[in-house]
Amino acid sequence: MPSPRWRKVLRDLWGNKTRTVLVVLSVAVGVFAVGMIANTQVILSRDLAQSYAATNPAHAILSIEPFDESLVRAVRNMPEVQEAQGGRSYWVRLKTGPNGWVNFQLFAISDYDDIQINKVWPESGAWPPQRREVLLERSSVGPTKAYVGDTVLVEIPNGQQRELRVAGLAHDLAQVPTAFWGGAYGYVTFDTLAWLDGPRTYNTLYITAAENAFDREQIGRIAERVRDRVERSGWTVYRMEIPEPGKHWADDVIQALLLVLGALGFLSLILSGFLVVNIVTALLAQQVRQIGIMKAVGARRDQIMGMYLTMVLIFGLLALILAVPLGALAARALIGYIAGLMNFDIVSSGIPPRVIALQAAVGVIVPLLAALYPVTVGTRITAREAISEYGLGKGRFGRGLTDRLVERVRGLPRPLLLSLRNTFRRKGRLALTLATLTLAGAIFIAVFSVRASLFYELDDVLEYLNYDIEVDFTQPYRIARIEREALRVPGVVGAEGWGFSIAHRRRGDGSESESIRILAPPVGTDMLQPTISEGRWLRPGDRRAIVVTTDLLQAEPDVKVGDEIVLRIGERDTTWQIVGVAGRVGVPFAYANYPHLARIVSSVGYAGVLVVKTEQDDAAFQSQVARALEERFKRVGLHVAATMTMGQIRATNIFQFNVLFAFLLIMAILLAVVGGLGLMGTMSLNVFERIREIGVMRAIGASDRAVLQVVIVESVIIGVLSWLLAAILALPLSKLLCDAIGVAFIQKPLTFTFSVDGVLMWLVVAVIVAALASFLPARNASRLTVREVLAYE
Amino acid sequence: MLGRWLNRSGSRTEAPTGSYQNGNEHLIEVREVVKTYETAAGPFSALKSVDLQVDTAEFVAVIGKSGSGKSTLVNMIAGIDRPTSGQVFVGDAAVHTLSEGQLAEWRGRNVGVIFQFFQLLPTLTAIENVMLPMDFCNMYSPQERQERAMYLLEQVEMAQHAHKLPSAVSGGEQQRVAIARALANSPPIVLADEPTGNLDSKTAEGVLQLFERLVEQGKTILMVTHDKDLSERVMRTILLADGEIVDQVVNNRTLQPFVPMQPKEPDSA
Ligand SMILES: Nc1ncnc2c1ncn2[C@@H]1O[C@H](COP(=O)(O)OP(=O)(O)OP(=O)(O)O)[C@@H](O)[C@H]1O
Ligand SMILES: [Mg+2]
Repeated sequence: MPSPRWRKVLRDLWGNKTRTVLVVLSVAVGVFAVGMIANTQVILSRDLAQSYAATNPAHAILSIEPFDESLVRAVRNMPEVQEAQGGRSYWVRLKTGPNGWVNFQLFAISDYDDIQINKVWPESGAWPPQRREVLLERSSVGPTKAYVGDTVLVEIPNGQQRELRVAGLAHDLAQVPTAFWGGAYGYVTFDTLAWLDGPRTYNTLYITAAENAFDREQIGRIAERVRDRVERSGWTVYRMEIPEPGKHWADDVIQALLLVLGALGFLSLILSGFLVVNIVTALLAQQVRQIGIMKAVGARRDQIMGMYLTMVLIFGLLALILAVPLGALAARALIGYIAGLMNFDIVSSGIPPRVIALQAAVGVIVPLLAALYPVTVGTRITAREAISEYGLGKGRFGRGLTDRLVERVRGLPRPLLLSLRNTFRRKGRLALTLATLTLAGAIFIAVFSVRASLFYELDDVLEYLNYDIEVDFTQPYRIARIEREALRVPGVVGAEGWGFSIAHRRRGDGSESESIRILAPPVGTDMLQPTISEGRWLRPGDRRAIVVTTDLLQAEPDVKVGDEIVLRIGERDTTWQIVGVAGRVGVPFAYANYPHLARIVSSVGYAGVLVVKTEQDDAAFQSQVARALEERFKRVGLHVAATMTMGQIRATNIFQFNVLFAFLLIMAILLAVVGGLGLMGTMSLNVFERIREIGVMRAIGASDRAVLQVVIVESVIIGVLSWLLAAILALPLSKLLCDAIGVAFIQKPLTFTFSVDGVLMWLVVAVIVAALASFLPARNASRLTVREVLAYE
Repeated sequence: MLGRWLNRSGSRTEAPTGSYQNGNEHLIEVREVVKTYETAAGPFSALKSVDLQVDTAEFVAVIGKSGSGKSTLVNMIAGIDRPTSGQVFVGDAAVHTLSEGQLAEWRGRNVGVIFQFFQLLPTLTAIENVMLPMDFCNMYSPQERQERAMYLLEQVEMAQHAHKLPSAVSGGEQQRVAIARALANSPPIVLADEPTGNLDSKTAEGVLQLFERLVEQGKTILMVTHDKDLSERVMRTILLADGEIVDQVVNNRTLQPFVPMQPKEPDSA
């Protein structure tokens, strides 16, 4: 049996269940959010790193002209190389519906039971695939709707079609899942590849370093030695890629996302602290006399503080009991979703103890910190002040500037006026409630602004690419011919052949950059309208001039406009001057004038890429025209490697943006819930403190509805006020969030767009939340009878 | 049995005029106490240089008009309020020098206070309210507390209501519980501010008899009252007017014939 003072604490908790439930829920939402994100972060990082390491990822990947096992053996024998493995990827197209085709990247593997690097795991069905069979990467199943046992139609580069049986599923952690870009992956044997007209040679060399597996620079040097070795043996290396060691491609994105979400989760916890401040302040004001009596009978201030802080501690503990399991559960779901999205498996189970510790710490500390000030102030009152009538009567309406302003408001209906004046009676409480709702609203609007900015960014890139379809050929063709054929296809209004080449920058220290794609549109093209951030665009007379994208400047931070750089194109080193910088497209790109590049690669009059403008620019029309183009080229014997429509690019980007948006919105909603609970707390306190007034109102004939209305309208006034403030605060906050999201996901701040839709939407949400939050308190108020009111106290 | 409960600090209550630690001769010594409040209309003196001595086992009534400073005086002695100037000695304590925290603890152990209204914590039962001072001052073992609280409730004839919340008993019954609570830590002094103010005469009589019994047991009681009948039954009556002691009347019923006290002005109550 606890002693009387703890019994008082427990009865205060139990006696006012609304208060307890509100505070506990509000703190629980914050703890839940923090727990969900922290759990997700810990488990995802751990499991992703583990599963990724289990695939024995390549430390360097070299694209080389066709080679065979002898080269692999030679490289494997180099002392600095731990393991080397040849691979072949081959692009075909997969039919997904009556009119739908997707790019289908086939990987030929010689021995399915002896994959050393970038391991691919059997998922279900056959392993290895037999002749004329394919194993589908499991992330490709959903988007392509091809299932184990199905026979699928593929189109090979020469335009012929072949049927492949889907014999099983494979899991390949190294590939960006199909949902993110639309392309599918399949695994076949070299026999099947040959049957599909593919070569029996390798084109990719995967290596792992013998030492310093996590030192990117070391690996760079090893890769260079491998390249030299390969080139000495007579093969040309096209491309060299050194992924960040030990890091799955999705890791950065996931970490950045969780950081933002975690920050929002913590914010919701802080906001729940505001409700604690309001509730505890009111509680101490209500219990002034009790505090006085306790002091009179010998309670020291620290004992009384202890009682109230214990009460808050219990709020925190109850919130933990609620939030820890729910947070873990939600984390499970979230982890499952993200893992599914990123195509990896969660192997571990159980809540990480440090996440529980974190939740326990914040769930207890935040409310205690919040309560510390009101408890300190509330218990400071002397016994005499608490017992006598003097010194009370704070928080009355009519003194300050706002009161006088509000008083000026005339000409409104009486009840509305009453609501309006009531709103401003408890200013501290109002301020905290408004702060909570305002922050929640501003974040909500900011989330919509992020979305708007992402879409703006996308439109910007798409506008920059002022064409509708891009066709990549397997080899260069005569420009006049491909343009002529393209223009014969109905719906095509313009076509341009562009030169294309892959280059590597030779840096001053002799090392080489990752590959840079050079596009060479004809002089004066209008199919490309890049946003030039520095310098200028290409001019007709330019010869060794290139315009690079900001992506390149990021990859090669030492270059700037005006610099000369050396690019290795094929076998030749060529010197170029950077004359301008164009906006981001995602990967390092450079633009050069066609005639000059064509001369360098000795293919004057030939183009590897065709860009096409269509009559209408909706996605469906573009796909249809793209399809017609492919058929046309096939008929006339031009081999298409891939086509891409702007509609597709847009769709896959929108998918990614929406995933991001959904996550942010969940957090914004949690914040709105905390805001709503805060408002509900305020309204129930207001109603509770005005019980006598409400009694008077009822005594003079106010109907249930009138009482209900006065309370709800007061709440809605607060909601609308918070909306106004949120709309203002949202401006800087949106900018901040756009910068953070931009830097996290595309390495630069997003071009900022403010979402007016978001502002309007928050008005609706704020009013609805306000009405809902006040409903229970209002109903309680309207149910009070005069007799009950008089019996009160 | 009774002695054990009520005379915990027996040595102090048994020595009627011992010299205390701070040199005070009397159990309660109020010296030149002034209390000035800052009000909107300027400083207001609720007590103007009050001197008062009360000895052990005395039963003293303080009377006076409303606003004359009765509560203020009692609060000074209880350490609920602080003098603007002057000194307050109670037993071994120099009350005016103690900090808030020291005061609370000292009060809990040495003074039982009773007010007119709002005495009990509404969420605690009668017996829990009585146990509260023991809890705060950490007196008696937890088992003893329960037992002792029950004993005290029996003394005020509230034992049958021990487990009721204050809202479930009448005002007079609440007052009796408050008296039991005032005795919880067996303080040598009981200060009561209009303890019978809102009780009917029969109940008030009961409270008074209880007080008389306590005085017989050696307690010192200072009681503010409006009730002339009550003031006639105490040993000494102090009349306050405008913050000053204007008269003291000693009623020694055993040695002197009964002399009714004449207030200077009719009391507002
Ligand atoms: N905190 C305060 N601020 C200003 N004036 C005060 C304060 N407390 C008491 N007073 C004034 O001091 C005077 C004495 O007050 P006190 O409460 O001691 O009177 P009282 O004799 O107990 O009256 P009652 O019989 O009505 O209880 C009164 O005039 C009162 O207005
Ligand atoms: Mg008084």
